[in-house]
Amino acid sequence: MAGLTQHPILGTNDTIKEEEKKKQEVDQTKPLSLDKLEGQTEKDMAPVTGSSIHRSGSRPQLDLSKAAIQGTFEERDPTILLPNQSDHLSHLALDIGGSLIKLVYFSRHEDQSIDDKRKKTLKERLGISNGGRRSYPVLGGRLHFVKFETTKINECLDFIYSKQLHRGGMDVRIWNPDAPTNENAVIKATGGGAYKFADLFKERLGVGLDKEDEMNCLVAGANFLLKAIRHEAFTHMEGQKEFVQIDQNELYPYLLVNIGSGVSMIKVDGEGKFQRVSGTNVGGGTYWGLGRLLTKCKSFDELLELSQRGDNRTIDMLVGDIYGGMDYSKIGLSASTIASSFGKTISENKELEDYRPEDISLSLLRMISYNIGQISYLNALRFGLKRIFFGGFFIRGHAYTMDTISFAVQFWSKGEAQAMFLRHEGFLGALGAFMSYEKHGLDDLMVHHLVERFPMGAPYTGGKIHGPPLGDLNEKISWMEKFVRKGTEITAPVPMDPPGTTGLGGFEVPSSKGGTLRSDASALNIGVLHLVPTLEVFPLLVDPKSYEPNTIDLSDHSELEYWFTVLSGHLPDLVDKAVASEGGTEDAKRRGDAFARAFSAHLARLMEEPAAYGKLGLANLLELREECLREFQFVDCYRSIKQRENEASLAVLPDLLMELDSMSEETRMLSLIEGVLAANIFDWGSRACVDLYHKGTIIEIYRMSRDKMHRPWRVDDFDVFQKRMFGSRDKKPRPHKRALLFVDNSGADVVLGMLPLARELLRRGTEVVLVANSLPALNDVTAMELPEIVAEAAKHCDILRRAAEAGGLLVDAMISNLDGSKGNPSSVPLMVVENGCGSPCIDLRQVSSELAAAAKEADLIILEGMGRALHTNFNARFKCDALKLAMVKNQRLAEKLIKGNIYDCVCRYEPAS
Amino acid sequence: MEIGNLENHVQSEPMEESSQAQISHLALDIGGSLIKLVYFSQNSDGGCSKSSVQVSNGNEGGPVLQGKLHFAKFETAKIHDCIDFIQSKQLRVTGCQHNGASANEKCVIKATGGGAYKFADLFKEKLGICLGKEDEMDSLVAGANFLLKSVHNEAFTYMDGQKEFAQIDQEDLYPYLLVNIGSGVSMIKVDGPGKFERVSGTNVGGGTFWGLGRLLTKCKSFDELLELSHRGNNRVVDMLVGDIYGGTDYKKIGLSSTAIASSFGKAISDNKELEDYKPEDISRSLLRMISNNIGQISYLNALRFGLKRIFFAGFFLRGHAYTMDTIAVAVHFWSKGEAKAMFLRHEGFLGALGAFMSYEKHGFDNLMVHQLVQQSPSASHGGDKTHGPADSELNDNPSINCSIYLS
Repeated sequence: MAGLTQHPILGTNDTIKEEEKKKQEVDQTKPLSLDKLEGQTEKDMAPVTGSSIHRSGSRPQLDLSKAAIQGTFEERDPTILLPNQSDHLSHLALDIGGSLIKLVYFSRHEDQSIDDKRKKTLKERLGISNGGRRSYPVLGGRLHFVKFETTKINECLDFIYSKQLHRGGMDVRIWNPDAPTNENAVIKATGGGAYKFADLFKERLGVGLDKEDEMNCLVAGANFLLKAIRHEAFTHMEGQKEFVQIDQNELYPYLLVNIGSGVSMIKVDGEGKFQRVSGTNVGGGTYWGLGRLLTKCKSFDELLELSQRGDNRTIDMLVGDIYGGMDYSKIGLSASTIASSFGKTISENKELEDYRPEDISLSLLRMISYNIGQISYLNALRFGLKRIFFGGFFIRGHAYTMDTISFAVQFWSKGEAQAMFLRHEGFLGALGAFMSYEKHGLDDLMVHHLVERFPMGAPYTGGKIHGPPLGDLNEKISWMEKFVRKGTEITAPVPMDPPGTTGLGGFEVPSSKGGTLRSDASALNIGVLHLVPTLEVFPLLVDPKSYEPNTIDLSDHSELEYWFTVLSGHLPDLVDKAVASEGGTEDAKRRGDAFARAFSAHLARLMEEPAAYGKLGLANLLELREECLREFQFVDCYRSIKQRENEASLAVLPDLLMELDSMSEETRMLSLIEGVLAANIFDWGSRACVDLYHKGTIIEIYRMSRDKMHRPWRVDDFDVFQKRMFGSRDKKPRPHKRALLFVDNSGADVVLGMLPLARELLRRGTEVVLVANSLPALNDVTAMELPEIVAEAAKHCDILRRAAEAGGLLVDAMISNLDGSKGNPSSVPLMVVENGCGSPCIDLRQVSSELAAAAKEADLIILEGMGRALHTNFNARFKCDALKLAMVKNQRLAEKLIKGNIYDCVCRYEPAS
Repeated sequence: MEIGNLENHVQSEPMEESSQAQISHLALDIGGSLIKLVYFSQNSDGGCSKSSVQVSNGNEGGPVLQGKLHFAKFETAKIHDCIDFIQSKQLRVTGCQHNGASANEKCVIKATGGGAYKFADLFKEKLGICLGKEDEMDSLVAGANFLLKSVHNEAFTYMDGQKEFAQIDQEDLYPYLLVNIGSGVSMIKVDGPGKFERVSGTNVGGGTFWGLGRLLTKCKSFDELLELSHRGNNRVVDMLVGDIYGGTDYKKIGLSSTAIASSFGKAISDNKELEDYKPEDISRSLLRMISNNIGQISYLNALRFGLKRIFFAGFFLRGHAYTMDTIAVAVHFWSKGEAKAMFLRHEGFLGALGAFMSYEKHGFDNLMVHQLVQQSPSASHGGDKTHGPADSELNDNPSINCSIYLS
């Protein structure tokens, strides 16, 4: 049970600890019906908490050993500590502007990968030198984004203090809270406030502020975002958000318009090469300042929200007002063009009180946005720049603001120039200050090194102006409950004013869902950036630049609606499984509840604004679900189901192997492929299959499934594949050197389908690498579980045993065999690598370095299952031979993708291109 | 500088000259906030005579009217005052008489501006006259070209409170950028007589100043608001570079600590309400914001087309020194001294003048300005003083001596 003590339980109060104890007891007393497997699995589960798993970061990982904590550790008493804390907070940078303080901080995982013998062997074999690339300085971790109002700078100081960010920022590997603060400690800071508040920081936190130039920071931040984050830049026209993939080689030059209190316009020519070419004093401060005087709003967001319901026709003088309702078409002005902002408020018999604050706010917003757009365009034109990026806190993801700016740029440039926006718009300066640390190590980060996550804490830390920090899971759950109770608004559609002719040159009120601004909802827009420097682009992709993992485009709303329904429908069952997997305790139930709420909230948010978290594909949606489960600490919902099915399948494996061995080589290949397709029916991700399970045992279903398969399959390239494997009569082709087998589900799928196929390849002299998930997702088999399954299978099969030994999978056996089996002809190896994912799908732009290394000598890829071969990668092209195998267990997908029916099979073979 | 009469009313006593002189050729520019009038009064000794002076211009055959051009303005909201004025002066009758029509027949008066469409029925009803609609841009450009070519000392620069008349070389006039600041702002690239293009504009103009100013200060008139601005201090309201940088300049990018970083950026303070700010300060801040913005956008457009001269006109300026100064500074700042902002003495009457010029097409061969005898403004002269506050010498719209050649 050693594994469980390292379980990432976040509860830091006594209740949770007690529950934890209870759970351990439950686990200990659980009947060990699956004794062998369970023991092994528990042991292998332990490293889940370590950094050897790449995407475990969305939940805070706190080691509670030796910590007797009273209350929550996030409270402001710094003497309450976790001595064995492994999640080091380091590197904090600030941007202290006139109205807002922006904070970027990095929390780092200690590299504590267990020196796993099996892993070591694998790495040697694949030629991965573990030392160099990961040693320094980025070890993987998370980049967080937080903001505060400048007037509430004390909240900001408290936040830093409570998280001890000012101490972790130094090069202190393991911060010792009792150690005196370094006299010379400094935090990188930019913005005017870095000067103004320097003394305050010294006094309150004992740290100095190291002032970084504001423009330098803005540009460094923008360059970093545009280079390292995939869905950072987007256009926003008439309510439609569209992400733009920026080609690294064509990024420069561009115009960066930063809209803070005032506006700066910067021509950027390259890294560190830029010039402030213009600006305007009519900016965010003007909107808020004038707005406050005119409307009595108490906050910028309130003012912005008001504008949502406004109608500027009562305030602005339109061309139609001057021309008696007619257009001035000769010069291209429509009647709804604003001729003069606030031109109507000169009426003598109306006072300020007689105008609606909503209308005033909208009119003001349009005046300022439009003006900024126009001046920006004129400057872009001047220097021949085609792309204008708008950033800064004025925008705040507000659809109307973006539409107005875009419209101005489009109108004046006659479509020649494009206004683009950045998702992390407000954090350019802070990010840039962060980049100015000499040893941040982010310079060489590429798009594939960053994974963005949207934990439920993100609305707090990422988007919304901050309150007290969320301490632990318990607080998060209570907050979720509040959030959802108060915020049914996050699911309810927002009533929009009917579109009117409020336009500049026919510019109408956007009718998009994107126009819904609620602080809660819009706050979800920025996630936490997970830095995983070990992720790489899968080297066998033909064209990584144009590679799109998702097969189905969810920007089609009916498609999104369908999957929304599917996922919602599946949710109760999943929650049951999740709660059961954690022993069904009260705590598990509460977490299950919170998970369901959180995931539903995410779904609702995405239904309303599909592009809220970046470009949305089915893979992202499925991954979000897994992440959400992990966030509420459901480590592996299907653990016991997987164990049961593995065991049942392994029991019938010897018979199946015998049956296969009696066939001729060519017949056997067909049977093996049939077997893979038939076994792929065991999929807990599919509703249809879940229903099936209630009707029979695994082996019955497997046989039934195989019997029903008749060639030709719906997509049937088997003959071509067969020819590649066996050639024509007189000419035998060379067998493949190495095959990568991307496996799918546990149980029959992997044991009765993929393992026999792997065995056949090994027999032919092809090295086999089984590629499995790093983290659990549904009932998918993980890289941690596979070696035990292989070991079990190897007991009954010599081919597998020798290959597994050669691949270092059978650690104990290998040692014992080292002396005795020297004379044996060594087999080609069978290896297992993790893919770097924790999702039922796979995005080949971000795979583990192990997989990337393994792929270098591979000349055959076999993708199995709906998630990896259909939902994603169905259209992916590879540099080597590729076989995509799946049974379609979803009627809609079958119709859409292969014009077929549920349970149709796909056997798609594509020779190396 | 005296404070003008806050009431904008029609001068009740008849104008000295016009009472005797024959008044003719009225033209109107009916804008969103103001109505501008231009009319011609024949010198009492002038009468119809054969041209004997300007033989060279090929109009020998026609009769010539000698007289003065007068300028007047009304708030659009008080259009009835304007109608009364026209009626009282019988401008409409004489405005048509040389067109060969009898006074009883249907008259056409040239008019431009959006109101020429909007108020057409009202003029028909009240005065029995039709408004002959002239295109607004055409009129503006024709008016500006006329002034720049024919009127001596029409254009001037303004810098640090110093007004300096600019001599415009007739041959080197084109191309130029004409920025007309009315309720909104139009920016027109002028390449020659009748050759022009509206290249840009902004909706942040005089109407914005007056509209926002009214909401924020309770001023009763545009001029009162302008006057307030003169006594204000924008530092209370605007966020300056120094406010952000703790009193220091941001030298690296050439911003002094007194540069405005964010207009109204200081008005976000939690514990101050609108009432806690002085109207003077607000007005000043507003004026600077709008003038600066217009100056900047104008410069960027001039740059775009390689235009060295930018002429600013329109009723927003009103000869207000501070406004002109701000615009001039903005142009100077953004162009690094390359471009100069210039202003026109008859800034508000371009459209009306242009409309007046359009009579040519309908019977007048030419409007010829004598070597201008610029009449110094005095109470005895013209409509210019009548309706605005008689604030500064810059604010006058002197009447112009001229001749009209009739075909």
